[in-house]
Amino acid sequence: MKPAPTLSSAFLEPRGNSLPAPLLNLRQQRGKALTDMPLPTRKTENWKYSSRYLKLTDALAAGLPANGQTGPALAVDGYHVVFHNGIMVPEASDFPDIDGIRIERFADLSDEIAMELAERLDNTLDNNAVQLARLNAARFEDGLYIRLKPGAVLDQPLFVISETDASVSGSAYPRIYVDAGTSSQITLVEEFITTGGEPAMVNAVTEFALADGANVTNVRLSLDGENVQHLGATGARLQGHARFDSHTVGFGGPLRRHDLQVRLEAPGAECRLNGVVVTQHKQHYDNHTTIEHIAPHCTSEETYRNIAADESHAIFNGRIHIHRDAQKSNANMSNKNLLLSTGAEIDTKPELEIYADDVKCAHGATVGQLNEESVFYLVSRGIGRQEARTLLSMAFINELIEQIPVPAVRETAQLRLNRFFEQTVVEA
Amino acid sequence: MLSIKNLHASVEGKEILKGINLEIKAGEVHAIMGPNGSGKSTLSQVLAGNEAFEVTEGEVLMDNRNLLDLATEERAREGIFLAFQYPVEIPGVSNMQFLRTAVNALRAHRGEDEMNAAEFMKLARETSKQVDLDPAFLKRGVNEGFSGGEKKRNEIMQALLLQPRLAILDETDSGLDIDALKVVADGVNALKSKDRAVLMVTHYQRLLNHIVPDFVHVLANGQIIKSGGRELALELEERGYGWLGVKDEVATS
Repeated sequence: MKPAPTLSSAFLEPRGNSLPAPLLNLRQQRGKALTDMPLPTRKTENWKYSSRYLKLTDALAAGLPANGQTGPALAVDGYHVVFHNGIMVPEASDFPDIDGIRIERFADLSDEIAMELAERLDNTLDNNAVQLARLNAARFEDGLYIRLKPGAVLDQPLFVISETDASVSGSAYPRIYVDAGTSSQITLVEEFITTGGEPAMVNAVTEFALADGANVTNVRLSLDGENVQHLGATGARLQGHARFDSHTVGFGGPLRRHDLQVRLEAPGAECRLNGVVVTQHKQHYDNHTTIEHIAPHCTSEETYRNIAADESHAIFNGRIHIHRDAQKSNANMSNKNLLLSTGAEIDTKPELEIYADDVKCAHGATVGQLNEESVFYLVSRGIGRQEARTLLSMAFINELIEQIPVPAVRETAQLRLNRFFEQTVVEA
Repeated sequence: MLSIKNLHASVEGKEILKGINLEIKAGEVHAIMGPNGSGKSTLSQVLAGNEAFEVTEGEVLMDNRNLLDLATEERAREGIFLAFQYPVEIPGVSNMQFLRTAVNALRAHRGEDEMNAAEFMKLARETSKQVDLDPAFLKRGVNEGFSGGEKKRNEIMQALLLQPRLAILDETDSGLDIDALKVVADGVNALKSKDRAVLMVTHYQRLLNHIVPDFVHVLANGQIIKSGGRELALELEERGYGWLGVKDEVATS
């Protein structure tokens, strides 16, 4: 029998020492903990559809050069922070100094604050479940620490652009931690983009800690390049009456794996998780979400839609775990999927684990094709077959795109989706 | 304009149309009547190009081109329009987006510029008033949550926007109260012109009180068994189909 593959030690050699000492120490500890970490295989339940796409060759282990420059001009109106291969580029960033809101790169943190952050990193995530996202804590070279004091409100969305420059092979480890104080509010938009076409790996982790009554919206637009494996995770933990809204729009690649974990830790906390994923060619996209209903009287609402074309493969695994004390939980999960070709594959798995007896919990998952009657209706009006199918495919996800509360993201998503459908021949 | 010769069609191996012959000239209004299951809707669907039906024999010429060689969308661009008996609901595609895409597809076919959103909005609002539909419907999903009557009026509105050469109305009168019937009939009458023909498929003659046909044909068991003028419809209403040797109610297809 072949020994189980383990993470190459080449991945555990972090670069750079410009971080404050507490973060360097943390990085070292986390690296040690990952020595000989077994890589997921087909027998690893939460990786069974994706493990064969995971290609962590030593060529990807090297940190991508971080020369502090950005590639394309990023015309983002409003507040933005640009990361280039995981390192912040202050000259390309623009955000205001607002009372009660601190937006700082890791490299600039005082030892005291860095110590506080080091204790928090990864504390929203279930380390046993996220597996490869743990690599980030062993490798990050910079990051963004956002702190909102009680009552602080960021008046516009903050865009964090993570640009991966894949002119050469390697990996990048962007990282964000948001500490949202009592009744504070922020909308954080993450955009992952790529320049250059060499094989690369992006390992991004974003975390949110929401105090009582905090209101956080996280929009995640995954536009990574066609040779980028993206292995990421987002975690959020919510105190009483906090609200977390997540909107994901993802385009496929050789491997996209994202884990979204939300913990509802005190009564009245609520979350809404929306996701749209489209895949084509031989792309692969795997979304795993987990909602932990820990306290009573919490609400979760989750809606994911996948569209798979050509010979691509999309996966949705949605876990809702209602703990014993979480009475009066209200959880709703819907995952609908559209197959645009006979060669495409979609796997959907709602997982409900309920230990409380007085809860409302509903879930539904469907996989289908375009309705031929609808196609006939549209083409009978002179609309071309391809255009008719595009209209109907867009109709499948429009509702979720329209709910994204940031117009600029809606426009970008729409443009990219149009391009996706232009490139996709939809079979009958 | 349209010449149907010995048309045979089947669905799932069952022959429904068994040799239809029909000539329609520009400017004419034809009504096809017949009991349920006689093949009326099949004829409409076959002319519009529904691939669920297989044409096994015969031809359909439109201005001397074989219509059956054209894809559904090409037929629409050549001027065939089918008002559906059961219009499809399409949540997520707004009526406005649907109508504008259709109008622009036809304009592109004629070599005309696309209509921009503002121009189209104006046209669509005016047309919606013509069929007594609240313009607010334009923002909703295609036929989504529309009542039966609203769906039928939306079909007529589409015909008015697309200005077809041959408008086929499949049981457009079914499920309409008298006021809605009047609105629909007014819409169809507005469509009538010397360059355009109308083919109405109906079970009842009441629509024909409002849209007066030049010719009435009786379809039974997949064939046209009798043709005549408007008076034939009145006679059918009075006497049913029995005198033609046809059972009035056959199992629906």
